[in-house]
Amino acid sequence: MRTNFAFGTSCAAALALAAAICGLATAVHAQQATVSITVKGHHFQPAQAHAPANKPLAIRVKNLDSTAMEFESVSLRVEKVVAAGSEGVVNVRALAPGRYEFFDDFHQETRGILVVE
Amino acid sequence: MSIFSACRRLSRPSIRLGVTAMIAAFATAARAQDESAFHELETKYIFGDFTIGSSTGIEGERAFEPETEADFRKRAGRYGVGTTELELEYTPNQYVQIELGPTVSYYNINNVPGLANQNFGGPNGVEGTFRFLLLEPGPGRFAATLAIEPEFHTLDETSGQRVSNFGLENRLEADTELIKNRLYYAFNLFYEPETTSVPLAGSFNETTVGVSSALAFQIVPKVVVGADVWYFRHYDGIAFNSFTGDALYVGPTFFWQIAPKVLVSASWQANVAGREAGIPGLDLDDFSRQRAKLLLEFEF
Repeated sequence: MRTNFAFGTSCAAALALAAAICGLATAVHAQQATVSITVKGHHFQPAQAHAPANKPLAIRVKNLDSTAMEFESVSLRVEKVVAAGSEGVVNVRALAPGRYEFFDDFHQETRGILVVE
Repeated sequence: MSIFSACRRLSRPSIRLGVTAMIAAFATAARAQDESAFHELETKYIFGDFTIGSSTGIEGERAFEPETEADFRKRAGRYGVGTTELELEYTPNQYVQIELGPTVSYYNINNVPGLANQNFGGPNGVEGTFRFLLLEPGPGRFAATLAIEPEFHTLDETSGQRVSNFGLENRLEADTELIKNRLYYAFNLFYEPETTSVPLAGSFNETTVGVSSALAFQIVPKVVVGADVWYFRHYDGIAFNSFTGDALYVGPTFFWQIAPKVLVSASWQANVAGREAGIPGLDLDDFSRQRAKLLLEFEF
């Protein structure tokens, strides 16, 4: 009986923790800002993107070229390969105001700036 | 020699003038070139790999990093000892980096007082590193990372004698940009307690502490040169029980991002000052006359 009670309590605690994590994740997701960037002719459009400070970001990268690209940034600390004609999403932590460089690691002359303010 | 007297030696007018001239030359060169050709660098290896920068890598990045450290020359005879770590590096998120791999050591020791002659190489345990970003990088401020490196070795790093050695290297790695994308400064704080068991001789503990200071200048895009200074103190015992000696190392550094996924980082340093407790001259029991480091990184 005591074992069942302990097991039940553990399950309830686990469920409560899972619910709390889901709630937190939803709250974080709700606060997340989105930035859309397109790559065409090995150029970022826009070459200078803007985002709000102190909010987690989702950067949507749409690759309209016929070759794969790798969205990468040293200061954002993210990278993602985006196949030709497809889209990728890069999740970035909340950022302090500033200018953050990004580039295509497969075509390093393709560069842009994310201005966080 | 304390760190203060070491610094006093370095504060001689000629050296002060040299350092000032070097920074001024770097700054002038930085302003003279086309800034658009210079882009952000990960700072971890730009200071040559004795002093480590704060960058913890890019989320999801994996790399293979053979890293060799070699020590040369003791008081007399021939002395060359090297250890290569065959590390796999992984960055699981934007704040943490993990490195893990076996080590291989090689010894070429001949007629060095207090050491048996050795000429061999072999596997020498395993090392891991866990790096945690403490302070975010940003304009005009220091970024900082805490690195914790547990180590197990089966060969003594100085003599090649068979031992069981456990160490826990702890480093605070901090850096800042003095000129955007061109001139960088870093310092490291170092603390490593070790315990070693020697067959038929029992076990003993020791501690090494250190502090470094390094400048690095991106001289052409993706090539960085600089200078690095390290000051170490060595103690018997875990609780700084008995001071045995200190050393001041100085030397140049080099970094080259050869390709988007390949880089090389190198340092060489000479032991220029220090003393062994109770004996005049450099502490060449705990430290070598020269040391060097070479790291290659292949991202995959």
